Amino acid sequence: MSPDAALRRSLAETALSVGVLALGVAAAVGTAMLPSQGGYAGIGPNFMPGVAGAGLILLGIWLLYEVLTGGWRNMPPQDPQSRGEHAFHPGAFAWVSVGLFAHMALIQTGGFVLAGGVLFACVARGFGSPRFARDLAIGFTIALAVFLFFVLLLTVSLPGGWLGPLFRLAGIE
Amino acid sequence: MGDTLQALLHGFEIALLPMNLLWGALGVTLGTAVGVLPGVGPALTVAMLLPLTVKLSPVGALIMFAGIYYGAMFGGSTTTILLNTPGESASIATALEGNKMAKRGQAGPALATSAIGSFIAGTIATLLVTLLAPLVVEIALKFGPAEYFALMVFAFTTVAAVLGASTVRGLTSLFVGLFLGLIGIDGQTGQPRFAFGVPELLDGVDVVVLAVGLFAVGEALYVGAYSSRIPEVMDRITGSLWMSKSDWKRSWPAWLRGTAIGFPFGSIPAGGAEIPTFLSYAVEKKMTRYPEEFGHGAIEGVAGPEAANNASVTGALVPLLTLGIPTSATAAILLAAFQNYGIQPGPMLFQMQGDLVWGLIASLYVGNVMLLILNLPMIGIWVKVLTIPQPLLYGGILVFATLGAYSLHQSVVDLATLYVFGLLGFAMRRWDIPVAPAVIGLILGPLAETQFRRALSISQGDPSVFYQHPISATLFAFTALLIVVPWVVRRVKRARAADQVK
Repeated sequence: MSPDAALRRSLAETALSVGVLALGVAAAVGTAMLPSQGGYAGIGPNFMPGVAGAGLILLGIWLLYEVLTGGWRNMPPQDPQSRGEHAFHPGAFAWVSVGLFAHMALIQTGGFVLAGGVLFACVARGFGSPRFARDLAIGFTIALAVFLFFVLLLTVSLPGGWLGPLFRLAGIE
Repeated sequence: MGDTLQALLHGFEIALLPMNLLWGALGVTLGTAVGVLPGVGPALTVAMLLPLTVKLSPVGALIMFAGIYYGAMFGGSTTTILLNTPGESASIATALEGNKMAKRGQAGPALATSAIGSFIAGTIATLLVTLLAPLVVEIALKFGPAEYFALMVFAFTTVAAVLGASTVRGLTSLFVGLFLGLIGIDGQTGQPRFAFGVPELLDGVDVVVLAVGLFAVGEALYVGAYSSRIPEVMDRITGSLWMSKSDWKRSWPAWLRGTAIGFPFGSIPAGGAEIPTFLSYAVEKKMTRYPEEFGHGAIEGVAGPEAANNASVTGALVPLLTLGIPTSATAAILLAAFQNYGIQPGPMLFQMQGDLVWGLIASLYVGNVMLLILNLPMIGIWVKVLTIPQPLLYGGILVFATLGAYSLHQSVVDLATLYVFGLLGFAMRRWDIPVAPAVIGLILGPLAETQFRRALSISQGDPSVFYQHPISATLFAFTALLIVVPWVVRRVKRARAADQVK
């Protein structure tokens, strides 16, 4: 392993270990604000949160100890090639995320079909598809089919959004 | 015994109603269609298809679920054999020989032996569930809260600490799940916990959002970032789809041995189908008359592990139905599906809602038959699904994933939570933290807490109930052994290895 990769690995492991520790501390602080009266059991609603918080703190310390003594044990190889993968592709990660955020922003205004189509096209773009317009068309078609299946067959309601008037014209509610 | 038979026959009357048959067939087909998608394991399939059943009657929904469950398993093995991408750890053993067979132009017999083997293992295992469940119910009725709590701790320990590459990472995943399970209103006092003033959090974290986020969104982020630029290779099905006479002769003992190995592992609350599948693989390798074929596509190496996998998955229904304890991520999501209908599995379920339980068990037999007759002829279609290019495939997976999360409460907050769990799933996948313990911790944690507090209420706060009751004391002792023994074995091995170096 190159020194650079080794450094990146231990930075990531440190960050995750500290994250577990921080979650444990947050849980412990949250627990301290809970009442402890427990009726017959003698323990109240704060007991299990305390256990979970304490457990996370101990595990965070244990993980940090592993980082300091040679890194987390039994890890897959750090080098992506030997895992049969390629180096981290930031564009792919970003496009999938953008798709999910666009979906969140659109679903209650634009409706299920539009949001689903945009999500589909963004994810496909992230996975390397060059034809955004075609993917958008495929996405709309799939989302429309799912929409009709749910609304007509399973009678589960999904937001029609901007296409709502069209659906009403077609007699679909 | 006679009672069981009568109850089962009544169950068949329910399962064979035309509408219920239809839901079963729909479940099997959809389960296979989604389960065959690469990267989509059975747990994710069941979680994504959960919203399909919201408007059905409980019986119809559970029958459809049984179909989805079996279909997802079968679809998963198809992908494993043809693409060599095991969707879950229990399929790794199948991939060893199955993909080699496909590469040798024997994809047809490999798929056939896995389908027929799954059918036989599933049917025998369902028969064993039928016979065993009433006996376990008899015992379970004598269990008090202390025993249940001990049993749940046992299940937690095996799932998180014993299986997997690292005890500390397994436990971390479990405790994150336990923490998430505490969010919301405490069922016993009405006290809101860890809600941080967000009203949507008062309902708690839904297991569907967690499972779909970790499995689907996390997987999409991971595959996109690390392997979307690698060209895919798929093995075409060439030659006969059918098994030759010698294939049959070599397969059936492997099916039976696989079933015998898989079922006991599934039915004790010790979680995971990967141990029995690897055990079955090792047994077949040892017993085969064609040892030279192992590593190059030996049919026993597909038949045994596939049967073991299916038998173990079916066996997991014993603790799920009779004790309400899920031992795998898939079983945890099935439990959530039960809870959506206000059904709490356990010994009382067999007494209060016998129709439902026996209808479900009967539909397992029916589902198995349906799977065989629907899927073998349609194998060409499922293989076509595999040729969908990756960009469109993951686009589709995320459309279904967001649908599953959104349709729970029609809330954007669930979608935001889904993305957060997706980031968590990505990090867990990248740094090798197992996901299943978190899902099991989320669903089983609150149940364990309830039993713990109930046990202490009955004993007026005296913790000695946990070790003075013989059953719970035994279970705690077992749990301790499970942790201590592997640790000692590792130490001894390391010491010996060090001695040899000297």
